[in-house]
Amino acid sequence: MIASEFFKKGSKLFLPLLSVAVCLSIWEVLHLIIGGDFLPSPYQVFKEALRMFSVKIGGNTVWMHIFYSLRRVVIAYLLGAATGLPLGMYMGWNRTFDKVVKPVFEVLRPIPPIAWIPIAILWLGIGEGPKIFICYVGAFVIFVLNAYTGMRYTDPLLIAAARTYGASRRQQLFNVAIPASLPSVFAGVQNALSMSWMCVLAAELVGAREGVGYLIIQGMDMYKPPMIMVGMIIIGIIGASLAVTLRWFERLVCPWRRDLT
Amino acid sequence: MAQRPNIKIECRNISKMFLTEQYTINVLDDVSLQVEENEFVVVLGPGQCGKTTLLNCMAGIIMPDEGKVLMDGKEVTGPGPDRGVVFQQYALFPWKTVMDNVSFGLYIKGVDKSKRNATAQKYIDLVGLQGFEKSYPHQLSGGMKQRVGLARAWANGPDVLLMDEPFGALDAQTRYSMEKETLSIWEKDKRTVVFVTNNVEEAIYLGDRVVVMSCMPGHIKSQYPIDIPKPREYTDPRFLEMRRKISNDTELSL
Amino acid sequence: MTTKEEYARGKKVKVGVTDLTKRYDELLVLDDINFEIYDGELLCIVGPTGCGKTTFLNTLARFIPATQGDILVDGVPSDPRRHNIAFVFQEISSIPWLNVEDNIRFGLKIKRLPADEIERRVETMLELVGLKPFRRNFPQELSSSMEQRVVIARNFALNPDLLLMDEPYGQLDIKLRYYLEDELIRIWNELKSTVLFVTHNIEEAVYLGQRILVLSNKPAKIKEEIIVDLPRPRKFDDPEFVKIREHVTESIRWW
Repeated sequence: MIASEFFKKGSKLFLPLLSVAVCLSIWEVLHLIIGGDFLPSPYQVFKEALRMFSVKIGGNTVWMHIFYSLRRVVIAYLLGAATGLPLGMYMGWNRTFDKVVKPVFEVLRPIPPIAWIPIAILWLGIGEGPKIFICYVGAFVIFVLNAYTGMRYTDPLLIAAARTYGASRRQQLFNVAIPASLPSVFAGVQNALSMSWMCVLAAELVGAREGVGYLIIQGMDMYKPPMIMVGMIIIGIIGASLAVTLRWFERLVCPWRRDLT
Repeated sequence: MAQRPNIKIECRNISKMFLTEQYTINVLDDVSLQVEENEFVVVLGPGQCGKTTLLNCMAGIIMPDEGKVLMDGKEVTGPGPDRGVVFQQYALFPWKTVMDNVSFGLYIKGVDKSKRNATAQKYIDLVGLQGFEKSYPHQLSGGMKQRVGLARAWANGPDVLLMDEPFGALDAQTRYSMEKETLSIWEKDKRTVVFVTNNVEEAIYLGDRVVVMSCMPGHIKSQYPIDIPKPREYTDPRFLEMRRKISNDTELSL
Repeated sequence: MTTKEEYARGKKVKVGVTDLTKRYDELLVLDDINFEIYDGELLCIVGPTGCGKTTFLNTLARFIPATQGDILVDGVPSDPRRHNIAFVFQEISSIPWLNVEDNIRFGLKIKRLPADEIERRVETMLELVGLKPFRRNFPQELSSSMEQRVVIARNFALNPDLLLMDEPYGQLDIKLRYYLEDELIRIWNELKSTVLFVTHNIEEAVYLGQRILVLSNKPAKIKEEIIVDLPRPRKFDDPEFVKIREHVTESIRWW
């Protein structure tokens, strides 16, 4: 049974590698069909990536650009969490507060973060401000919604149980409602991060001089499709890495859900 | 001269209605029940006949529309640590370990860590869960979860224990062993217990007195003191006779 | 007490299970199980909690493949295309978008029985479970015990080669359980189906079964076979009933 054991152990790596290989092959075939200018080949993109990482673009290395983008996202994200989570939780916990805030929130919520760009520029100029603000808006909405849902749909049985132990309203909130809503919050945490990361590109498309979005703009301006694609791939890889980090963090904080992840 | 029994908890003329768009359901209709101190009373009735509602009124989780619940002579206005509850669906906190769950009540009261863990440990041992202190609820079987529920309620030292069909979700054999265990804990650590069930065998096994409820409207039909000495045998002739008597008195709810 | 030979006399073997074994990697769940189910028999299986009862049923119903062993129906290896093994689960599996009579019709339609045969069976089943007044109701409108009866009616209507029932009555109150068990016996008597009823409830097994198989703890083996030749309707306080119940309890000795 050595072969089957080997296959089982190998298949963990084998299948993903196989899938990557298949994608690259399809890409290559499409490149050959569509034509070099519209769709660069994987090899061209790879070569361009090597080149980009060895020079400075617009005065910064690629790593610096990544750093700028990440910094914007992280600041916006943490601000979003710090403001959105408490707000969402309180809305879920306190009916009166919910009734007051909800109408305003329900109107603001459908406005896509991108639509906030002009007014962000008006208020905050053309610097880091509007970029962080756009990412913040995207993250904030998601944090509020998920915290709200988590809180609202806390199993009433658990609250009843806490009450029978004499827990005060405050104790119920901190000892039961908040921990019970953590899984939902974490779902929001993942989504908000994806959203922030997507928003940063949109924000950087408008008057940025550094950041991964800037790299893509440069690629477009200089008519270098491979450069555009390298930028996109960097965005994809970093987004995925952030998600993985967050999932690890969730497993750390919510060990009782270990079996469910 | 006979000593007047001390009434620990009592329901006086409790009525509760649930209203829907089409009709009003009389879940409880003028229900009165007195429970003596350290008595083990079982409330027996088929499904959906208001027994859980009655228990919830006694716990203070819901308030009756009419009548009142008195504990030590004082009216009950809400839930409290003097009336512990064991729920059918366990209601364990999934993010807390067994130890933290069992010591929850003491934590809320503000008892310091070493003391509350010591008390909790005593009850964890009593329900036979030594070694599982650091486990999470999702790692336990149904029977084990309910043992945590029992330990948690008992560890908080309530005067009255209200148990709402606590073994309803367990299979027959686990149920028998939990009944045995509950009885043995109660013998060691006597308290007033009000136990709700739809299982007549369970009722006769556990109860000093069995209170039979009827449905729609929820009403106390009859009461049966059980004189057989504990621990009882399910197949003992006196037990079976009692079972036939009470069974004939309960309703069939389809 | 009837002996096994007396019991088996004149009976035809419907299902034969030989050397049934199930292993998950290192874990042996079912260990070399051998038994027969006779045509038209109501056989009960009891075992201690966690004895692998679910695995046992799933293997028997061919939901999961056995590691070793054969299951023969009418002398031929069991084959879902040819044989009809119906299953009543612990969880209610009524079809929510069909009303009661359509639920019962459902399996029959899939089997492509002639229309008049389908109607005849539906009427019979509705009568047998006493749900005629509710024939057009939807399962959500009924109580859970009624829902379960719809599922049972649906399964019996198929006239299966073997009907597997996995604790269908759960933890209903005892009076209701006896009522439903009487109903089950009535249907079984009427249709002469072959039924395998698995339960943890010893009293239920003694009330229903013509024969009881006791499973041991993991790895599960058939520990004992007990013939129940009490007349029906059986009474839980009858001394003979009690004796058999105690015997089975001892045999299981879980706690």
